[in-house]
Amino acid sequence: MQTLENVLRKWEPVIGLEIHTELTTLETKMFCGCKLEFGAEPNTNTCPVCLGLPGALPVPNKAAIESIVLAGLATNCEIEKDTMFYRKNYMYPDMAKNFQTTQGPLAFCMRGHLDLEIDGKGADERYGIDDVKVGESFENITRCEGGYVAHVGITRIHMEEDAGKMVHIGGSEGRIAGATHSLVDYNRAGTPLMELVTEPDLRTPEEARRFMQKLRQIYLTLGISNCSMEEGSMRCDGNISLRRRGTHELGTKTELKNLNSFKSLHDGLMYEILRQADVLDEGGVIYQETRHWDPSAKRTIVMRVKETADDYRLFPEPDLAPYHLSDEFIERVRAKLPELPDEMAARIKDAYGLSAYDASHLVEHRATASLFDAAASLIPDDASASQRALVAKQLANFIINDVTAWLNAEPDVDLASSPLTPERLFELSMLLVDETISSKQAKEVFTAIIDEDKDPREIVAERGMEQVSDAGAIEAVIDSILAENPDKVDQYRGGKTGLIGFFVGQCMKAMQGQGNPKLINEMLEKKLSE
Amino acid sequence: MMSVSSSFAHMGIAEIHAGLANKEFSAKELTTSVLSNIEENDKDIHSFLEVTPDLAMASAEVVDARIAKGEFEQAGILAGIPIGYKDNMNLIGTHTTCSSNMLEGYVSPYTATCVQRTIDAGAIPIGKLNMDEFAFGSSTETSAFGPTLNPWDTQRVPGGSSGGSAAAVAAGLVPVTLGSDTGGSIRQPASFCGVIGVKPTYGMVSRYGIVAFGSSLDQVGPFSRNVHDAAVCLNAISGHDPLDCTSQDIKTDFTVGLDRGVEGMRIGYVPAFLEAQGLTPEVRRKIEEVIDKLREAGAELVEIELPNAKAAISAYYVLGPCEAFSNLARFDSVRYGFCDPGHADMGGQYEASRAKGFGDEARRRIMLGSYLLSSGVYDTYYYPAQQVRTLITEDYLRAYEKVDCIIAPCAPRTAFKFGEIADPTQMYLADMFTISINIAGNGGMSVPIGLGDETGLPIGAQLICPAFKDETMLRVAAALERIYGPAEVAPAFALNSDKE
Repeated sequence: MQTLENVLRKWEPVIGLEIHTELTTLETKMFCGCKLEFGAEPNTNTCPVCLGLPGALPVPNKAAIESIVLAGLATNCEIEKDTMFYRKNYMYPDMAKNFQTTQGPLAFCMRGHLDLEIDGKGADERYGIDDVKVGESFENITRCEGGYVAHVGITRIHMEEDAGKMVHIGGSEGRIAGATHSLVDYNRAGTPLMELVTEPDLRTPEEARRFMQKLRQIYLTLGISNCSMEEGSMRCDGNISLRRRGTHELGTKTELKNLNSFKSLHDGLMYEILRQADVLDEGGVIYQETRHWDPSAKRTIVMRVKETADDYRLFPEPDLAPYHLSDEFIERVRAKLPELPDEMAARIKDAYGLSAYDASHLVEHRATASLFDAAASLIPDDASASQRALVAKQLANFIINDVTAWLNAEPDVDLASSPLTPERLFELSMLLVDETISSKQAKEVFTAIIDEDKDPREIVAERGMEQVSDAGAIEAVIDSILAENPDKVDQYRGGKTGLIGFFVGQCMKAMQGQGNPKLINEMLEKKLSE
Repeated sequence: MMSVSSSFAHMGIAEIHAGLANKEFSAKELTTSVLSNIEENDKDIHSFLEVTPDLAMASAEVVDARIAKGEFEQAGILAGIPIGYKDNMNLIGTHTTCSSNMLEGYVSPYTATCVQRTIDAGAIPIGKLNMDEFAFGSSTETSAFGPTLNPWDTQRVPGGSSGGSAAAVAAGLVPVTLGSDTGGSIRQPASFCGVIGVKPTYGMVSRYGIVAFGSSLDQVGPFSRNVHDAAVCLNAISGHDPLDCTSQDIKTDFTVGLDRGVEGMRIGYVPAFLEAQGLTPEVRRKIEEVIDKLREAGAELVEIELPNAKAAISAYYVLGPCEAFSNLARFDSVRYGFCDPGHADMGGQYEASRAKGFGDEARRRIMLGSYLLSSGVYDTYYYPAQQVRTLITEDYLRAYEKVDCIIAPCAPRTAFKFGEIADPTQMYLADMFTISINIAGNGGMSVPIGLGDETGLPIGAQLICPAFKDETMLRVAAALERIYGPAEVAPAFALNSDKE
């Protein structure tokens, strides 16, 4: 395969995403009163409606419609006040009625967008980015320091119901190929499902990954889904085609499935760009087909070829009246909108003088964002701007580095109920800022907070960690060390300034490691140059 | 000399209630008699597909216990009233087959709201009634389990699709039954069998638990031999159901005003209907007679126009099959219903099971709906049909500015013989006067107005009312009942008849 760089010179990738999200935080299903529960005994949360038994009728779940309106408002969509549910007719055993209740040409949410900040290495995937000056716009992007911002259109977000889950028995890895029979679990049937469709505005796998991350962040902030890509409550399909750079007509696309992690989303699309380029460069043809990303083999394989467009015989669902959203309803939902990640990033950046990088990383996860917010709110009101910035930067460092590493290592931890309270994190940061402890000691205290469920000051006291910053005490130690090493003092003064490390080490040793290294350093330099 | 029909065969709700209240008979005695009457006489007309004696006797005991405790008043407005249900209505523990091989042996795991409401009102469930397969038909000839025979002439069809529901009431087997009407399936068999049949306004009665044919057209309603019984039954089954979001929250006592007469009412009629091709002279004469009688009774008769009504059948045979195609997709042989096993792939099983499980008319409508909804065709048929629907609805709204109620023919003729109409499109014309009411979502009903002067068979007049004004048509029906008398039990089934 060719390198991406080579491919991009000739071909422009065009990517659109279809993202399905189950509204897992609701109590009940989309059109019946059955409980929503992941992992229940198969076929226990079912009723005549979600089993599609003869005579059963759907009744829409208002809470689900509130959720999708929230999602629409949070992604800059226009909310359509008059829409209809439609029947999408196709036969498959996981579809109890053999039609899916979904929405027609008009969805609850239409014409939205998200702005994606792409920085670091990911920005290099965008062809020609280096030729754009900071502040300048090009296609759908605006160059900024360290990267660019991409404006990505959202075609629509519509409401539908999920299908049941099929388990194929007798084949390998539960796949349908070679299976002797299949089992269906209808617990998932009728789960409220939102489908978001983007415009074909994405140009790089990194942009696709960032879009998914950002959307997930928003949904989590709204609290409308647990957005578990692993459990399948948030699923992404990628549509991708290449066109010769400089042309506008879209090439034939393939649809990628099984992109169920951020890494798979990125790597699957990347593979597909390179694969399509190879085919096209050899004079071959891209077929409109659905392909499965195999993360272990690191390639995509054909699932099925679409020779003609599927005919789903869509028509308005006669069992559900046209749905009207009143202005009052929409405003009531708007009033429930929490602070969104972008808004929070902007706020904490301004309020605490954080860098854009720190701010955007802090809001990446809801739990860490809340921890930062709560801890930073403990900074006294009368603190100066520079003091605030100092403490906030320390908090940000802890969260972006230590907390994230801890949560990555132990993904089951619920931060909100963990020993690491905002008060303790704030206290720890203060200990570091006022130089009571060294940064190395801070790491030890951080671990101890989690392991021993104690306050930082208690840990510091127990371990005798208080850093001595008393200038008088330090001066006395320095004086005695200098007096004990007159030859080294002479060498230093003769130009061997590297000896400063030796003096600092001796002082620290004399103070059992509790001396403030910065202060010792400063005072030593001063004494030695006298 | 045949065995004597049940002495309860002629009774309506009021008489039964009087008998129960005065302890002339118990609900159990009544039920026993009704069951043995069915045992004895239903073999002649085949109106029941399933009789539920255990359920009936248990329900009767409950009613008797309440009477014994002096709680008859609280036992419900249908207390002790034997009732039958069209076989597309779910009643837990009973078979619900829709007269199709596709659902032979299927046992309902839940109960339809309208059925439950009759039971809650104290009714005694007697069984399930024959119908055209999945309600596709106007003669009950498409039932996979054999047709129902018209009690007035067993050479003839009872009409359909609710043929069993109409015939059971006409034969005096039960005083009331429930049917469903998508294009005329209550009114036309009521007309053929000479009984009252009410198709309420769409949204008046919950459809939850009724196996759907055309979801935007289907409506449940009662059959009875007098207007009051139909009104009581409507009282029991109407009103909002949280399980059917197309059902409306309307609370009307339909028995109020039945005796008010038609004086001062404005009743419309459509001259073009009386000129319609296919309307037999005897039916026309009868309807003209009714128009005169209503005028004599003090109503103002007003000529109205429904210019788009002529397109109703065309629109109906687009919308109905489209909805039916989708509604019947669930019968796929996988979890319930008929299955033709042994196919190598899923598609093969689907295809063979549906080909063998559905009858001709069901397959015809599924294929039609599948075609009409396919891309490229949708815009040519489905969309214009919806526009026609709007036009017809507007026609009616304009008419109701001038009139309170409309009188029209119900069926264009009296009951035809088995096999007489073989061409499906000719059969579709049986509903030419009833379909536009489903299209517009209005209420409509058939009232017996005597026998045809040529055929000697029952004829019904159709009364049509604005949406959710069903009490107006019942009021006119009650006035006609005073003129023509209540429905009679078909002679062969009447008390002291000389049936051979």
